Amino acid sequence: MEFKDYYKTLGIAREASADDIKKAYRRLARKYHPDVSKEADASARMAEVNEANAVLSDPEKRAAYDALGSGAAHAGGQDFRPPPHWDAGYEFTGTPGGGAGMDEAQFSDFFEQLFGRAAQARHGAGGARGGTSEGGTQRGADHHARIELALRDAYLGGERLLTLRGARLDAQGQLVQQERQVQVKIPKGVREGQLIRLSGQGGPGLGGAPAGDLFLEVEFQPDARWRTQDRDVYLSVPVAPWEAELGGPIEVQTPGGASVEVTVPARFKPGRKLRLKARGIPAATPGDLYLELQVVLPAAHTEAQQQAYRTLAKAFAGFAPRASQGV
Amino acid sequence: MADHSHPHVPSAAAEILGDAPCLSAQDLAQACRMQVSWVTERLSAGLLQGELQAGRWRCSGAALVRARRLAQFETTFDADPELAALTTDLIEEVAQLRQQLRRLQARLGSLN
Repeated sequence: MEFKDYYKTLGIAREASADDIKKAYRRLARKYHPDVSKEADASARMAEVNEANAVLSDPEKRAAYDALGSGAAHAGGQDFRPPPHWDAGYEFTGTPGGGAGMDEAQFSDFFEQLFGRAAQARHGAGGARGGTSEGGTQRGADHHARIELALRDAYLGGERLLTLRGARLDAQGQLVQQERQVQVKIPKGVREGQLIRLSGQGGPGLGGAPAGDLFLEVEFQPDARWRTQDRDVYLSVPVAPWEAELGGPIEVQTPGGASVEVTVPARFKPGRKLRLKARGIPAATPGDLYLELQVVLPAAHTEAQQQAYRTLAKAFAGFAPRASQGV
Repeated sequence: MADHSHPHVPSAAAEILGDAPCLSAQDLAQACRMQVSWVTERLSAGLLQGELQAGRWRCSGAALVRARRLAQFETTFDADPELAALTTDLIEEVAQLRQQLRRLQARLGSLN
């Protein structure tokens, strides 16, 4: 386990006042806020900052942490093990994780071992605030993550193998990290931005209490061919110039993989959409599928094909494609 | 679709939290690591959307995402609830605009 120098993380001296800690934390929270930061590792840095603040802003945790010694004393990449009973005499009365609004699932092994559920179990769960019952039980924390799905999954449902990082307490009350896999059946009809709840797949409960839930926020994989708006799906459909102008049947593959025959009306109009009712994302009231026609010009590779374009030009001698630009 | 099932891996039941008010104030409080009273105050003030059904608040999945943002702004910056809500409104607006921009860029890319 790597020693975490929380003072270094927040960029403050060990003698920093509570006000200094708060200012440093807010400055970094603004810098690495996942919704606004352009830093590539913003989420990971934000988790580090939250973790450091969760310890240093809590006088009890800070005092216990300071008693471990300075970061320099544990530097050099050595494996860090807290001394036995290192926290004897300290009473952690806060929540085991980062407190209100924080997601402890992202905190490090170092934090978990010293201040997380292992610490809480050593101290006896009954003393903590934040939802612990008198009987020493506490429901596990909810965890949150994002999941990227294909639009096809929304049409047909799908399965995903998730690897979840979890923890359990061993016989000595030490925290043991473990990874586990869980297979999730994605229900069809899911839309972008929606949440999927996996009951009981969050953090473990204490004292026999149930585990928390895992919430997955759905994002669709970007695809130039389509976009969604609520349950409606807009599909870009390339058509040849003669199909666009003369009309007629064309075959279209829906995002769900089905092939449908659609009749394109004659006389193409830019921006025209063809609606296929109830062919959008499935639901009790399914969305519609809108086909946005895009005229695609074939490249003239052979002499015969080039001659065809010349013939076309003669047939449309009066056509002025740039008339709107005054040319 | 292809069968991606893994016979030795346990399955988890997945539930879509859609537009229907399927979550309680307690669910939101648990997800935000805040008190239930914190949630109900913001529901009553209209900073979070919910429905009162037989005296109990019920919320959609979208309300849970918004509640987590509100909680984060309030706890991180000691923000006034109205200010946290305004910031959350702006973040939601920016997210929608970014999404539209990505789609437009994708469409432009497909035309070139």
